[in-house]
Formats: sequence, structure tokens, C-alpha cells
Amino acid sequence: MGPSLPSRKRKEVSEVVESDDEFDGAELEGILSQSEDDDDDVEDSQSEGEEPELDEDEDEDEDEDEEDDVRSGDEEGEGINGESNSKTKPDVDGEAADDEPNYRVVKDANGGVRYEYAEIDPVYDSDDSDAQGPVNTIGNIPLSFYDSYPHIGYDINGKKIMRPATGEALDALLDSIELPKGWTGLTDPETGKPLNLSQEELELLKKLQMNEVPSDDYDPYPDMIPYFTSIEEKMPLSAAPEPKRRFVPSKHEAKRIAKLVRAIKEGKILPYRPPEPETEQEDKYYDIWANEEPQERHVMHIPAPKLAPPGYDLSYNPPPEYLPTAEEKDNWEKLDPEEREKEYLPSKFDALRKVPAYGEFVKERFERCLDLYLAPRVRKNRLNIDPSSLLPKLPRPEELRPFPTVCQTIFKGHTSRVRTVAFSPDGEWIASGSDDGTVRIWALNGHQEWSAQLSSADEPEPVNMVRWRPSKDTFILAAAAGEDLFFIAPPIVSDATEQASRDVLDAGFGYATNGSSAAAATTTADGAKKEPPAKWSRPSASLVAKGVLLKFAVRSAIKTINWHRRGDFLCTVSPTGQRSSVIIHTLSKHLSQVPFRKLPGLAQTAQFHPSRPYFFVATQRMIRCYDLQRQELVKVIQPGARWISSIDIHPGGDNLIVGSYDRRLLWHDLDLSNRPYKTMRFHPEAIRAVKFHRGLPLFADASDDGSLQIFHGKVVGDLMENATIVPVKMLRGHKVEKKLGVMDVDWHPKHPWIVSAGADMTCRLWA
Amino acid sequence: MDASSAQVKVVFTTNEEDLILPESKRQLLVPADIKRYGLSRILNSESMLDTSSPVPLDFLANGTFLKTSIEEYLKSNGLSQETTLTLQYVRSLLPPVYEASFEHDDWVSGVDVLSSTSPAGLLAGDAAVNERVASASYDGLVRIWNPSGTAIAVSAGGKGEGHTQRINAVRWLSPTQLASAGLDRKVVVWDYKEADDGFSGALKPNMELWGHGKNINSIDVNGSTRRILTASSDGRVGLWSASKRTAPQADPESLPSAHITKRAKLSNAGSTAQRGPLAMIPLHEEAVTAAIFHPKDSTVAYSASLDHTVKTIDLTTQREVSRLTTMHPILCATALPGASLIAAGSSARHITLLDPRESAAATAAMTLRGHVNMVVSVAASPENDYSLVSGSHDSTCRVWDLRSVRLASSEEGGGSVSEPVYTIGREWLKGKKLPPAGDGAKVLSVAWDKTWGIVSGGEDKKVQVNRGNGLLAS
Repeated sequence: MGPSLPSRKRKEVSEVVESDDEFDGAELEGILSQSEDDDDDVEDSQSEGEEPELDEDEDEDEDEDEEDDVRSGDEEGEGINGESNSKTKPDVDGEAADDEPNYRVVKDANGGVRYEYAEIDPVYDSDDSDAQGPVNTIGNIPLSFYDSYPHIGYDINGKKIMRPATGEALDALLDSIELPKGWTGLTDPETGKPLNLSQEELELLKKLQMNEVPSDDYDPYPDMIPYFTSIEEKMPLSAAPEPKRRFVPSKHEAKRIAKLVRAIKEGKILPYRPPEPETEQEDKYYDIWANEEPQERHVMHIPAPKLAPPGYDLSYNPPPEYLPTAEEKDNWEKLDPEEREKEYLPSKFDALRKVPAYGEFVKERFERCLDLYLAPRVRKNRLNIDPSSLLPKLPRPEELRPFPTVCQTIFKGHTSRVRTVAFSPDGEWIASGSDDGTVRIWALNGHQEWSAQLSSADEPEPVNMVRWRPSKDTFILAAAAGEDLFFIAPPIVSDATEQASRDVLDAGFGYATNGSSAAAATTTADGAKKEPPAKWSRPSASLVAKGVLLKFAVRSAIKTINWHRRGDFLCTVSPTGQRSSVIIHTLSKHLSQVPFRKLPGLAQTAQFHPSRPYFFVATQRMIRCYDLQRQELVKVIQPGARWISSIDIHPGGDNLIVGSYDRRLLWHDLDLSNRPYKTMRFHPEAIRAVKFHRGLPLFADASDDGSLQIFHGKVVGDLMENATIVPVKMLRGHKVEKKLGVMDVDWHPKHPWIVSAGADMTCRLWA
Repeated sequence: MDASSAQVKVVFTTNEEDLILPESKRQLLVPADIKRYGLSRILNSESMLDTSSPVPLDFLANGTFLKTSIEEYLKSNGLSQETTLTLQYVRSLLPPVYEASFEHDDWVSGVDVLSSTSPAGLLAGDAAVNERVASASYDGLVRIWNPSGTAIAVSAGGKGEGHTQRINAVRWLSPTQLASAGLDRKVVVWDYKEADDGFSGALKPNMELWGHGKNINSIDVNGSTRRILTASSDGRVGLWSASKRTAPQADPESLPSAHITKRAKLSNAGSTAQRGPLAMIPLHEEAVTAAIFHPKDSTVAYSASLDHTVKTIDLTTQREVSRLTTMHPILCATALPGASLIAAGSSARHITLLDPRESAAATAAMTLRGHVNMVVSVAASPENDYSLVSGSHDSTCRVWDLRSVRLASSEEGGGSVSEPVYTIGREWLKGKKLPPAGDGAKVLSVAWDKTWGIVSGGEDKKVQVNRGNGLLAS
């Protein structure tokens, strides 16, 4: 409609007369105010009503052209508005288009066109655009204001327009099943009813969407009607001379031009667009942080370090005490750049102008750029782990007192290296055996109470082992010298005890004959004449007078002896004895038995279990545990040592320590595994002896490096907990002679005192 | 102000009755760099004490002897120079000077002194008492010495009467009687007779007391009641009578004749009377190392053992009354009469002072540290209540003053700790370092008498006498 308007205006100017009498202007006025967008024809007739005003406009136009131009522009704007309005109310248009033309075109008497309108049939369903239901008069407010009311507005008569029943679930379902014609799913905001569109309306909408002319009967390209011809009429309708304004230059324009010229001259108006500087265009900044609000620092925020104020050493001419010495300079240069305490070396210059440029300038800038670019400001966490903190928590040795710490007594008297040492069961005496062939008994204060030369003084057999019979009623010492084993009842105790000891030692003499006959019987059964493994006898009279009351001899040198806890059995180990290297002797019967027909490897030491009828035999690499009652092998323990020197069984019976000539001390948990629970290497030389304390959680080893290592070794009854093993003290004092240091150790039965036998001919008591 | 001209305000106090200063003179400004000698001179000057002959004085500042200048003392204790220092002055002490040594053939295991001031000498009353030292040696002999170092009498040893094995302890019962005991499990009561000239004497065994099953470690005697207490390794404390009449017959089982051995027969050759114990009290699991009479009450005794305990025994009922448990095996004990404490030497190289009274809040009153080896002998001072001497296997005797006390650090186990005032080494080792582990010079026994001084015997086969009176400030 819009575009057609100006042209129609022109037409109206010419056709004023024709349509003048058709309508009454007053009536049309109301329609216009109501709605500008009626169908074309109506508008056509309306526009005729406007005609007089337009005419006046035209008249005025003749005086002021410019205003006219502006006005026409305005009208165009209105036209555009009108078009947009028509789009928003397509129903009105549609209804108009929907109808058949309600008029007929007939020729009137003059032969002109005459519109003959059909009679309006006022039936119920007659199409009356004015009476299309109640019009909501609430105006241009959102319908949502009425959400809480049952009505949605008021009609022109002030009656409430009730809210149409919104589709309930069933209705919605029905609606969805059979879609009514023209269903859109929209709600007419004015009525609140579902908005249905007819086919024509939909087509109109479609056309509008496609930017096509909405109505069919509108011809967008009508033939041009040449109202003003270029042909000069010979007989013009008006003979009026050409108005003056047509050829006299307009003063007004001249004035305006002068104005413009003046403005140009003054530079207010530039004749050309001044070239805008390109940089300005490129340098368009956006302050993206303009609306930035202050925020909490991030938890990982690290404030930039604040530089300390410069000190004297930063000066170009520092006092001489700040200048580094040559050594300091060297040290500084040797250090890694990251480890240097200062990044610079103070240097001295006579004058400021002699100060050279900063040598690290480029590098530093580069690194700062890297910093900015990658923002790699990382907290540099150097991994400073104290290696000791990684070790498992062990109690401090001070907390594990008591344990021996210092040498308290030195037992001097032996004339050769002391091979073996043992505390008496009551803890009052110490027996020692030496390479000089003597066995000596000492009081704890270092006084030698008794001694005996077991073999000839000229060619002494070294006393390899002394062990006390583990009983407090008797006072019997077993000493192994060479192939002989002597039982000694030293006469330094009460007569009652001594008598008991003698009785124990002599009890077997009655059995001796029986035993030998029994042995003979077995040998005859075997068919071969065999000698018993040991011969029991009285030693020489001089020894008997000394208190050495009994001896037996085996075939090879005895290295180790160990008593059974009851004191009746005694095992001897002679590593070179081959088949009969391990012999179990019964003191009460003077009987010796070889429990093993064959032993894999050289037997080193053997020991009875402290509580069960088990017997441990250590060969060079293995320890075998036998059940003596059932006569079977119970367990094989593999310490992994190359040459076992000694073993000791924890008084609890479940743990075992092994000392080896290859410098290792191994702790075995017999329940846990046949492999060592803990391996300790503290000695640079071979370990000769290991020993558990019988009452306290202590054990010790003796090494050829002349030292003893004391350990705290606590065994808990709870199976879930492992033994706590803490080395608590290294006892040094023995001298190393001919690569031999400490040969044997033994613990006091009650107190945390230990006695050691050294190759330096002394024994030492440590407490 | 120059440091040398600095002055410190001191207040002099004293416990010495005859040396009290008048009230007005007690406060004095003295130069800060003054030492003990200067202070002593000041106090001896006419304006102060005005003594006829100079009395050397020592000064106690806050319980410790002033050994440096006042200035250094203040500095080391972090005190300002403006503090008023309280100095307690006491008569100066002379160190225990060496006096004599008596040579033996074997280790000397026990010494006891007889003098007019010794407990045995006091029993004699007005009668003149010669000064004698009895020594027990590892060769089984008891020797009596006079002050000039001559052995007046030696007991018969070996085959005849007397001890067949080493003797551990000897005690004077009275000026004419001794008791000794040793490894051969018997106590021998000796009669001692001296020639009139005092240069020869005879020891004759009066009787043998049998009953212990093991080594007797120590004996104690109560001369007035003539009772003997023995401590044995068999865990029992024996109470014996020293007179033949009152002593009960010995249990034949305990006599050596019960067991027919060659040696027993030999030892039985003597004709000495054999008696048994009044009581044999089994108290300890382990060896009893000391049994001592209460210094004032003869019915109460204390026993110390290797099983870490010290027990109070009521001798009339022969029961244990109370026990004190310590941390270490105890090797010796003595009663301090004045402080009603027991000083117990332990194998852990210190002396513990135990309070055996039931009402005592803490049993261990103090610990005396300084020895580097087992403490095997302690003796209380005869002069005062707060000092004692101890003999140790580290070859020294140490004199302790219980008044100089400091609080122990936590490493030492808390409590209060004292350090020795004097250390008496063996004379022949003078100037040398202590032998390792006291080798060859262990002190085995020590006695302290007013007349004799400190008498100690040891592994070096010597009895050494040191001057013993006036060692400590009173």
C-alpha cells in the first residue's frame, strides 16, 4: 500500500472531481482513526475524503518547495508505518480478501464505472468485520496482568471478557488428534482464544514472508499515465506567462550558497572528506577490564617478591670489605647459576662512566618476555628430602636402655687368644677358654678364681668352647679342647652344689658298661664292628684334683658345644668329623649318639630349641631344624649367607639369628619364612658369634674387626607385629690381632651385661 | 665505666656460729673481678671478722662453690652486675691429701678401721683404743695394720683355721674382735690380741658361722648388740650373733662336713667352733650385695640386691617391711645417719640416694654422678650428715657433698644430681690417665673415719690412706 500512495496522491490531484461526491468526509474520519488499514477500496474512498487538505497543501507548495519535499517524505514514512500495521493485522486484511467482492461493477448512465454493493444479510453468521466478537479494550498491556483473574479484559461495553477455557488435557489431546482447520497452536493475545488462520490468511502470510505482493488484484507495475507531457501545447490551457521565479535566480538559494561558500572558506565544511589517519582506525582499543570488579586473590597467588633495597655491595664503588676475594670469586663461578646466593659479584669501578653495560641484559629481557608470554611463574619446589626421614621410625637408642655401653672389667691372664667365654647360670662367674689350653673362671670384678690346664702346657690344645650346664643346682662347665670334652665342677661354690655336680657327672659311670654293650649290640646287628662315637672316661688324676671330673673324646676336634635346657643332653659339633660331626651326648648315661647318617655339607654349629624338642643344625649355608621326637626334618632355613659361623635361637623360640663369616648378621622369623627377615651388615670383618640375651630384648654379635654390636631386638607375642630391631651400641675395645678380633660373646643371664672374648688375650665385661 | 672498676653488691651469710658477721657489715661492695682468695682476705680483715689467725674461707653462691671471679660467675649464670649476690662463706677445705699405702699380697677386698672415733672404738668407752686398720684380702687373710704401715697381725690362712678362699669383707666388732666373711660362705669371728708394745698381735679364730649357700658379699656389725648381718649371693640376709654363747648351733646340712669332699675335709681340719645363724632371711631373687643395720635402730636393717631393690627389714620379725625399686642392680649401700637416707651404689656408675621412709614422696632423693665404672663401696662421712665417699671400679674414690645439688637434665632422668667434690685416685697412678675399665686399680672397699681419714683398698693390692677430716664445709 505504501508505495502506491504517492502515485495515488498524484492521481487524486487530477481526479478530484470524479470521486468528490461519493463519500461524506465526516464519516470516513472515524474509520480512519479506528483503523487505517481497511481494504484497498475503502481506503481509496477514504483518501478522497482527504483531498481538500491535500489541495491546500498543493497550493502552499507553490510557495515553498522545500517544505513540500519534507512533507512528502513524512507521508512516505507514514505509508511505511501503515504497511507494517497491515502486516501485524493480517486477519483484517484476510477477512476482506476472504469475501467475494461484495459489489458489482456496473456502468452508470454516463458510461463510467459504478460500484453496486450487495445487500448485507444480517444473519447470525454474517461476516461483519465490526462485530467480530467482543473487542478487548484493555489496550496495549500484557495479557499476563490478568493472569490472576477469571477474565482477560473488558469489551467495549465494559463487560468482562471471560477467559476462554484453556484446553484441558483431554481437549488438548482431542485437538491434537483432529487439528481444526487453520490451527496454528498460537493464542490470540487479544481474545485469549486459540488463533486459527484460514487458508487465505496463511497464503497471505506466506506471500508476505516471500516479499511478494500480498493481494492478487494489486498490480505493482501499472501502465504509466503521463500526466505532464513534454509536448508543448500550441494552445496551452493556461496562457499565464512563466512565473518570474523560473528565470530569476533565487535569492534564497544565493543566500544559502553564500552561506555554504562562507562555511567552506572558514573550513567548517570541507569540500572533500579529509583523509582519516589509518593508524587511528587500527588503534581501536577496547577496555575489556573497564567493568572489572576487584576479586579475591587466588589461593595459589604468589605475590611478586619485593626487592630488597640495594646494599653496599650493589654499589659500583663498594667499600673494600664488600669486594669478594679471589677464592670467593672462584667459588661463585664454580657454583651453578641457580645455586648462587647472589646473582652478581660486587665489583669496583673508579667512576660511574666506567661501569659497563649490564652483561645479562639481553638474557634477562628474554627471560622476562618468556615469563610474560607463558606466565610460567611456578613455585619452584626443590625436592629437599632428608634421607633419614625416609627411614622407618625406630625408637632412639636412648629410649631402649638398659644395654651395655662401656667396658667395666678387663679379664687378663690368658696367655693366648681367648676363644670362648660363658656366664655361669647364676651370673656370678665367667668361664673362658683360650688357645693356651686353659680354662679359667673369673669373678665379675676381674679376679681369676680358678684355672686348669686341660692339655699339656707344651702343646696346648686350644679350648674351643666352654659352656655351663644350664642348671642352678649344679655347677658344671663343659669345655671342649681339641677332640676331648671335659666336664668340670670348679671347687669355688658351696659344698652342697659341688657334691650335686659330682653326682650328676658320676651318675653315668654305672651306665657306661650297659651303654657300651647296647652299642655293641647295634653294631653286631649291622654286621660291622663299629666303635662308639665317643669314649667316656676319667681324666688324669691331676685334673680330677682340680675339679675336672669327666671327659670324653670324639674322633675330630670339637668346635661347638651346646647344652639342652635340662642339662642332660649336650651336642657337640666337629666340622671335620664327616659322618659323626654332630653328636648328641647323654650325660646321665655317658652315651653318645650320632643322629644323622649323612649331613649335606659341613656342620658348623648345632643347638637345641629352647622349649620344644627341636634340634637345629647349621651347615655352611643352611640351617635345618629337626624334630627329635618324631625324627623328621621340620624346616630348612636359608639365610643366604655363604658361610655360617654361629646361630642363636631366641629364648621365645620363634626367632633365630645367624652370624656369618661373610660379615652378615641375619634375623630369621621362623614362622614367617625360611628367608631372613632382616639382614644387617655393620661389620667390615667376619662375624664370629651371635647371642641373644635370655631375658632382655637384646642381642649382640662379635666380629673380627674387634667390635661388638649390641642390638635391641624386641619380639612381640602378637603374630601381626614384626620384631623391632634397632642397633643400639657398638662396643670397641678389643684389639685385632692376626685378623682376629672378638671371638665369642655371652650375656649375663639377668642383667644387661655382656662379656666378650678377644684375640688380644683378654675378656671384657661391658655394662 | 671500666669493667675492672665495676663493683658488685654482695651479702655475706654463714652457718658457722663462730664466724658470724655483725649485721651492719654483712653488705659490702666488692670489685667484680675478685675471687675466692680476695673475698677470704676481706672477710679476715680487721674491719670484718677480725680473726686472730686467718681462717681460709670458701664461698657458696647459690649452692655452688665460687671458683671463678664474681664477674665470671654472674656472666655464666646470666645475672646482671647490679644484682645483689648472696655469698655464704664456709671454712675452706683442704683436699684429701695422700698419707700412706699398705702393701698386700693380693687384692684388698675389704677394709675397716679401728680408732677412738670409729664405731667399734666408741664401744670401748674410756679405754685407750689404738689406731688400726683391718684389711681383708683375696688371698684369704685378714691383716691388721698400724698407722706406720706395719702389718701387726695376719690371720692364719689356708689349711688351718680361717678362710680357705678369698675374703670379701672384714669388720671390727670391738677393739678386740673382728668378723670377716668371704667366698667360702662362712663368717669368721676373730679374737685379736695385741702385744703391749703395740707392734705385734695375734688373730685367732673365735668361731665360724655357717649357713649361707653362696658367696657372702658383705657384712655389717652392730657392736652394741653384737649382731652381724651378712649379705650373700644366695639371695638371703643372715643375722648372726657374735658371741659364742648366744649363737645357735649350726645346721649340720650347711656345714662342709656334710659333704665329703677332699677339700671339705681339709677345711674341716680346724677345731674352731661352728655356729649357725640367728636368722636367715630369704629376701631377694638375686644376690644380696649389702645388708646394713639402721644407724640408730638395731632392729631395723636394709638390704640391697642385684635385683634393683633395697628392702627394709624388721629384724625382730625378720620380715620385709618395705622395698624401694631402682633402675639398676645395686652393688653396695650405706646408711647416712643424719639424712636418714640410704646411699646405694649401682652398676650403672652412679650412686642413688634413697629415702626408705614410708612417708617419703619420692624414693630416689638424689643421684650422684661422676664415676665411670661400677660403684662397689660407699661410706658415710663420720663428721657430718651430708657427705660420703664412694669407691668404684674406675680406680677412684670420690667425695660427695649432698648440699651442692643441681637439677638434672631430662637425659639424666630428672631428679637432682650432684657432682663429686673431690676425686681421690690411686697414689701410684698419680698424674696418669685413669686406666681403661679401672684395670689393675679398681677400688673394692672404702672406709671413712675421723681419725684415719679415707681408707681404701683395691685391685692394686694396696690400702691407701687419705686425710679425711675437714674435707667439706660444715
